Amino acid sequence: MSRLLKPFEYLEPETVEEAVQLLSKYGDKAKVLAGGTDLLISMKKRKISPQYVVYIKSIPELDYIQYSQEAGLKIGALATHSTIADSPIIKDKFELLATACGKVGTPQVRNMGTIGGNICEGGPSQDTIPSLLVLEAKLKLISLHSERIVPIDEFFIAPFKTALQEAELLTEIQIPTPAPRSAGCYKWFTKTVRVDETLVGVAVLMSLDSTDGICSDLKIGLCSVAPTPFRARRAEEVLRGKKVDNTLIEQAAQVAAEEAKPRSRADYRRRMTKVLVTEAVNETWRKIR
Amino acid sequence: MKQIASFIVNGKAYELAIEPHMLLVEVLRDELGLTGTKHSCGIGHCGACTVLIDGTPTLSCLTPALTAKGKNVTTIEGLAEGTTLHPIQKAFIDFGAIQCGYCTPGMILSAKAQLDKNPNPTREQVKQALSGNLCRCTGYVKIVDAVLAAAETIKKGGK
Amino acid sequence: MSQELSVVGKRITQPDAAAKATGATIYAGDLKMPGMLIGKVLRSPYPHAKIKRIDKSKAEKLPGVEAVITPEDVAQWKPFDRGLKDLPMISGGYLVPPDEHILNERVRHFGDAVTAVAAINEHIAEEALELIEVEYEELPFVIDPEEAMKPGAPQISDFAEGNIGKHLSYPFPEGDVEKGFREADCIVEGTFSTTKQEHCTAETAAAVAYLDVSRRINIWSQCQLAHMARREIAHIFNMPVNRVKLMTPFVGGSFGQRGSVCAEPICIALALKTGKPVKLVYTREENFTALESRTGFKYNLKIGLKQDGTLTAMQVYMIGRLGGYMGCGPMSSAIGMTFGLGHYRCPNRAGEGDMVMTNTPVSGAMRGFGNPAIMWGIEQLVDEAAEKLGMEPLEIRLKNIKKAGEIANMGLTLESTYLDECIKRGAEAIGWKQKRGKKKEGQIRRGVGIATMSHCSGAAPLYLDHSNAFIKLNEDGSADLTVHPAPLGQHIWGALSQIAAEELGLRAEDIHIVTGDTDITLFEYGSDASRSTYAIGNAALIAARQAKEQVLERAAKMLGVSPSELEIQDRQVYVKANLKKSIPVADVCYDAIYNFKGECLNISGKCSWEGRWNSPPTGAFFAEVEVNTETGRVKVIKFVTAIDCGKAVNPMTVEGQLEGGMQQGIGYGLTEDYVINKDTGVVESVNYDTYKMPGILDMPETEVIIIDEPDPKGPFGAKGVGEPGMVGVAPAIANAIYDAIGVRIKDLPITPEKILKALEEKSQ
Repeated sequence: MSRLLKPFEYLEPETVEEAVQLLSKYGDKAKVLAGGTDLLISMKKRKISPQYVVYIKSIPELDYIQYSQEAGLKIGALATHSTIADSPIIKDKFELLATACGKVGTPQVRNMGTIGGNICEGGPSQDTIPSLLVLEAKLKLISLHSERIVPIDEFFIAPFKTALQEAELLTEIQIPTPAPRSAGCYKWFTKTVRVDETLVGVAVLMSLDSTDGICSDLKIGLCSVAPTPFRARRAEEVLRGKKVDNTLIEQAAQVAAEEAKPRSRADYRRRMTKVLVTEAVNETWRKIR
Repeated sequence: MKQIASFIVNGKAYELAIEPHMLLVEVLRDELGLTGTKHSCGIGHCGACTVLIDGTPTLSCLTPALTAKGKNVTTIEGLAEGTTLHPIQKAFIDFGAIQCGYCTPGMILSAKAQLDKNPNPTREQVKQALSGNLCRCTGYVKIVDAVLAAAETIKKGGK
Repeated sequence: MSQELSVVGKRITQPDAAAKATGATIYAGDLKMPGMLIGKVLRSPYPHAKIKRIDKSKAEKLPGVEAVITPEDVAQWKPFDRGLKDLPMISGGYLVPPDEHILNERVRHFGDAVTAVAAINEHIAEEALELIEVEYEELPFVIDPEEAMKPGAPQISDFAEGNIGKHLSYPFPEGDVEKGFREADCIVEGTFSTTKQEHCTAETAAAVAYLDVSRRINIWSQCQLAHMARREIAHIFNMPVNRVKLMTPFVGGSFGQRGSVCAEPICIALALKTGKPVKLVYTREENFTALESRTGFKYNLKIGLKQDGTLTAMQVYMIGRLGGYMGCGPMSSAIGMTFGLGHYRCPNRAGEGDMVMTNTPVSGAMRGFGNPAIMWGIEQLVDEAAEKLGMEPLEIRLKNIKKAGEIANMGLTLESTYLDECIKRGAEAIGWKQKRGKKKEGQIRRGVGIATMSHCSGAAPLYLDHSNAFIKLNEDGSADLTVHPAPLGQHIWGALSQIAAEELGLRAEDIHIVTGDTDITLFEYGSDASRSTYAIGNAALIAARQAKEQVLERAAKMLGVSPSELEIQDRQVYVKANLKKSIPVADVCYDAIYNFKGECLNISGKCSWEGRWNSPPTGAFFAEVEVNTETGRVKVIKFVTAIDCGKAVNPMTVEGQLEGGMQQGIGYGLTEDYVINKDTGVVESVNYDTYKMPGILDMPETEVIIIDEPDPKGPFGAKGVGEPGMVGVAPAIANAIYDAIGVRIKDLPITPEKILKALEEKSQ
């Protein structure tokens, strides 16, 4: 661990095409630099020492937030956590994502860090992921010769290992407009102090039928309780298509806790998964009713 | 390989020859002699290295210097006008919000960014704005008092 | 003795504050000198290993590298104790052997120094470290002190048989504890454990060393005990004390960690090897592993009381984990016992402590120096006893706290105490009557708790308590006060200027503090044990009084009266009986300097102070907590500290000390845990991602109450207040948790899992 970086060559593409060309040329010798809040720490800890650092924040067309009812939400990969947390449209229509982005790190880290960087870090505790999972986000990945859309729940393979291929750049996050009569929230406990790594993170997106309180859809996203963030699908099934009541909520929360596979503080994490899922579903339900 | 890059620090332009792996905190401290910006934790948790880049609080120890070229960088040295202190600096002094002083530069800059954005913050909003700046001496109490007092001074048009 | 004070007691701003607010303050790590090299240290990845071979050839060949030093290269210099406890600073013949070399051939903990380099910049220095090849022979290691005490455990030091670095007894035993327990109607006991809290100073350890024109060692050192460090350095490097010039910069926080030498020995070695200035700055990780942090204990505590609540006996046995070298750790047991067993009135008291060496980073002194650790247990047991006896926690304490005139914790007369006031006023501020002992229902429960403590103003009679002050008056009536406290952020300069100004009848801003250079300052033991205001303040006061007498003598001649008729107020010497007859102090001073009548004099005063008293500050701490019984999470809602620190020289500074103490105490109690992997000996708590101290959002609503009654022996009635702020925080929280949910946590830190486990055990 050092407080300084080791030498590297600095490249500053001005377009996406230039960027992927460079990534293709240098392969695993290159790393993408956006906000730097993850990359630089890894470099300081000497976990990685890239020969080439490709700084992409100068690419103007990657920092945007666009919304329309039909097309849904499109966020450029370079949008920072601060921008997303403060975005009126996201606070209004995708509140849980604004909450999640507002929890990441510290104010300074949120100013610097990007949603794209957060996703590509691929760690088990990234706060933004549970919300993106329940919102069923899709990721646009561009390489020299291809462009593909990957659903977010296929993106995380193992801790810090994602489906991002070499020389591929994440450029956009696409989120469909939720069904009418939907609401969501993001709830968490930190490990120790208020500003801290997440111990258990729970995102919920629920839709109610226009008729009597039947849950037409429920999605539960969890982070920090398994090798990668994931959807608690068995727990979702407990409530999907059923009339919502406290017993079912508790049952779903219990199942979610069982789906969790925490490595450390396992018992406590499972218990808190149940507590938070209960709380999150309850809060969401109250919002829609 | 050193590159020549243009920097704007505290309103002044500089042409510096720096290597890509130099951090902004290194350039400020070692090339420009602006030692008010501090090394402390190195991993983005303590905020002692906070500077403003285009008015936004940023961690200079996690910022490669070249990424800051051409942008307006404000360090603690850029707040006072000559010997006239910024109201936040004055308030920190008057309220006893400074003990060892090491976290003070980062703390004041985070406070400044908050008051520039929101001149009328609540106590809770001030705390949120400073939640990325750690202090071991003061318990934060007088720091919050000072920022709120500075907000009042600034609102009244005081300097 | 009450007097109207003009300067002492005022909330003055500090002379160094503007520089700190504008980033102009130069800390050791900010220093730059022509030709300066940067030092870096290579550290052991193993908890215990012999260094078999070092190949530094590649590193030495790297362009820009000017020195690479190994244990062999520094063997010519003497071994030392980093905590300076191999120097005669503790009475009764206590000495720690000099067990540590600048670089050691056998490394004793993860992070122990192996080699060091000096290069023209930090990047090259780091590159050089990577080119050094070290062959280690890993040795068996031991992490846990109780394991280390067992026969057959790996031996850490030749000086510690069975790994017992020091066995210390409570220094002020009294009576017969066995008899005391027989006489008791109620006995409560418990086993408590405390943690190795890390200081988390904002500035890391740093030093700059160079050879001056006389080829003396010049060292910018953060050490709190400048003259003691100078002597230690002179001893290490085999030279007379006046061949070392130690300069004290502003220090970015210490809390006891800089009571030892930190980066200095290696830094000086590199400067001597290269003949050039060397700056050595530690990284945060080095701070966590290479420096001392608070000594952690496991102890058995037992107290006996009569039915009416009076204490009959107190006994403790402590095991402390020292780490790989001794440092300041051993004394923390004796000091802890001193504060703990001497806080309440109790006729039968005894204590023993085994300070055990282990293959872990060194344990030393942190704010409170054993007091926070021991009061963690004592205040919980007192609450337990109160419950058993059907007494109120406030009541049982009011019954047992000492009164002025009794013998205090350090074996000297208790000069003053207003602890009863602290308890009463603090209880009111927290809302004790309304909140304590209420029926608790529901998932979220609140409670309030109390802890009290007494500390010290300096460590007389146990430690050397020798301070010197010299003051001179310039021709315009301004003054220069030469003292050598450590400017750690506690604003001692301001306090000393207030004290001197009050005595001299001047304003605080008239006093300039001359300090920070052992060539210039007279002997000063230093800043620790909450002594600076009390001891250095008394020295400054007496020196100022001498100067004042000279002013009055000369002024008397100039006014044609006798000195006893005069007084000085706000820069004017005036006749008490005739206020219109006066002369400015400046005129008197001018006459003394520019005198052509054979009466030249630079008006001055000097005092060598030796502490023959010790006025313990006392305090009562109140916590209101909220516990979620489903999650086990604890939130501190409000914290009140009521302090008796004598006359507060600067109430703003006193508040700052206590508010800072709350942050550290909340961390000690709830959030900070220094973790060492038991299987590998690797330290896992090395930065703020793995070691969490309270941030701004973790602070409760706070209130500080300063009783502000003067002490007869303190300068203008002041007592120490640097350390007390954190002593009672953790036990107050623990006692509040008990009020909220009826469970006791005895092992620090309090965690949600421990709360839930205790609740489950309670329901069974």
